[in-house]
Amino acid sequence: MTAQTIHHPSHQVQINKVYLHPLPVRIWHWLNALGFLLLIVTGFQIRYVDLFGLMSFEAAVKLHNWVGFGVIANWFLWLFYYMASDKVTNYHPDLDAKDFFDRYFRQVQYYAWGIFTGAERPHRVHPHDKFNPMQKLTYQFVMFISAPVTFLSGLMMWDVQRFAGLIEMAGGIRVVNTIHVFMFILFVFFIIIHAYMGFLGSKPSSHFKEMFTGYEEPHV
Amino acid sequence: MKARLTLGSLMLAAALLAAAPAAGLAEQHEEVANPDVKCLKCHTKNLKKKLEDGERMSLRVEVGEFEGSAHSVIGCTGCHRDIGKAKHPSREPIASARAYSQAQNENCRHCHEARFTDYEDSIHASLAHEGDAGAPLCSDCHNAHAVQSMAAYEPVTGEPCKTCHESIYEAYSQSVHGLAVTNGNVIRESHVQAPICADCHQAHSVSAVAASDHLKNTCLECHEGASLAHEQWLPNAGMHLDSISCPACHSPMAERRVDLQLYDRLEQVPMGRGDKHQSVREHVAAIDAEGDGLDPVELWKLVRRASRDGDGADVVLRGRMEVTSGVDAHRIAPRGSAVRSCENCHEGNAKAFQNVTVSISKPDGRKQRVSAESKVLSSPISVDSVGGFYAPGGTRIKLLDGVLALAIFGALAIPVGHIALGKIIRKKEKDQ
Repeated sequence: MTAQTIHHPSHQVQINKVYLHPLPVRIWHWLNALGFLLLIVTGFQIRYVDLFGLMSFEAAVKLHNWVGFGVIANWFLWLFYYMASDKVTNYHPDLDAKDFFDRYFRQVQYYAWGIFTGAERPHRVHPHDKFNPMQKLTYQFVMFISAPVTFLSGLMMWDVQRFAGLIEMAGGIRVVNTIHVFMFILFVFFIIIHAYMGFLGSKPSSHFKEMFTGYEEPHV
Repeated sequence: MKARLTLGSLMLAAALLAAAPAAGLAEQHEEVANPDVKCLKCHTKNLKKKLEDGERMSLRVEVGEFEGSAHSVIGCTGCHRDIGKAKHPSREPIASARAYSQAQNENCRHCHEARFTDYEDSIHASLAHEGDAGAPLCSDCHNAHAVQSMAAYEPVTGEPCKTCHESIYEAYSQSVHGLAVTNGNVIRESHVQAPICADCHQAHSVSAVAASDHLKNTCLECHEGASLAHEQWLPNAGMHLDSISCPACHSPMAERRVDLQLYDRLEQVPMGRGDKHQSVREHVAAIDAEGDGLDPVELWKLVRRASRDGDGADVVLRGRMEVTSGVDAHRIAPRGSAVRSCENCHEGNAKAFQNVTVSISKPDGRKQRVSAESKVLSSPISVDSVGGFYAPGGTRIKLLDGVLALAIFGALAIPVGHIALGKIIRKKEKDQ
């Protein structure tokens, strides 16, 4: 099912609701959100045990490790779903760079100006092309670079001796930790901005509803 | 049964013979049968030899001691082999009592080749060869004329180690190991063989404590389940056991430090062992002329220099937490008192990371150290130079704390700015 026709009471029009987020994607998204929040909280506790007393260092490390494995498994769920689905087009790179960045800057302009003046959204969503250029570039980076790098560096620190060879290749445990912390900083930044952007739908609750129902909320 | 008569009876015979000159023939027979009698005729007297250093060395042998010694069966010439070859008493000058003992060391080798080889490889021999007057020679541990069999030693007294290492022995005697020995080898209500000095350090092949992981392995030889027990609760247990010396946690009151050792990753050995890397050693000795400790840049330069002058060595700094004194290393407490709290090391500015040294190995395994500022463990420059040592939280890089604060501030400022921008634009639109 890719669309649902609804009757909009205030505007007396028939609106097609696009089915954007299939169930596996929604499950993955919310598990991922919960996992990342736990990883960030326990990460703060591990790094700043002298500043936070939410739990002991030992408990924070154990929880961080378990949640980390959960998030890695969840990432594979996401990967296998998209690899096996025709929706993988959402993550396909745009080969026409000029066109892509033209659309990228139109999207930036929209968020900087148009969104406040009621301008039409420059990107029309479709189940196979649901991300606007800003989202697409960000999610490609997050899912294909940041997440794997964070997982790999986290795995290396989870068992330093098991991954001693890889750690040595990377330049030592301090290098691996620095990469992991740098990714942690990126994710903290990303999650705050991501949550804020969630409020920028036609109504502040629209995007959040979409991630529960799977259907795009109407833009009227 | 001994082939020879005991020395006591010989002495009695000698005394009787001395009192009866008419019996001279019998005396000659005794001397032929046992030349020790002839030696002891003089060496039971208070003879002394003037040495070149001005001291006077006693030449007296206590007959009772020698008779009871393990060496009584080989007699005087068993060790003093050259006595019969030259004029005796010899007029050859002797520099000092120490020099004489050093020369006599070689005599031990004749019968105790394997033990002597062990000794030659030891830190004791290394110090002796360096000219350290306090380094033990054979006769310092094994009294020259009262050598006892191993079974006769009573290690609970700490002898002979205690003679030089008294403060360490005192610490040991109050430790869980020392108390178990004095209480009949009872540890946690079980009868076990608690270790004495030689069990951990070996009697003859005593190596420098810093030379290798042998002491940790020695602990694990008795505490077979220790690795598994640590794995039950300690994340990365193997890594912790590799990079933290056992006493750093099991001697809870000990003062600790982090030692960053120049290490050849290619050969998997500390730099400087076996007469290698002399120029790097000299550089380490001279690098901190001001004595204010190496800062992160100086440390980074040192690693570069060691790589350049290291004869192809792939130089890294291998970090290890250890206790600062041998005394502390022997104050092993019962298991329940060991450091168990992760926060001890993993909180920012942990005390354990305030004391840092950088070291290169000497040829005999001892470490040549130079102190470093504690910030070498938390500087961004150290990502390269101290890449192999990191304790999450405890040695965190402060610059990344700043980047994190900036990221959070930026991430919160963007929505605030965006909302404010929206209000301005809407007001402008409304005004138009």
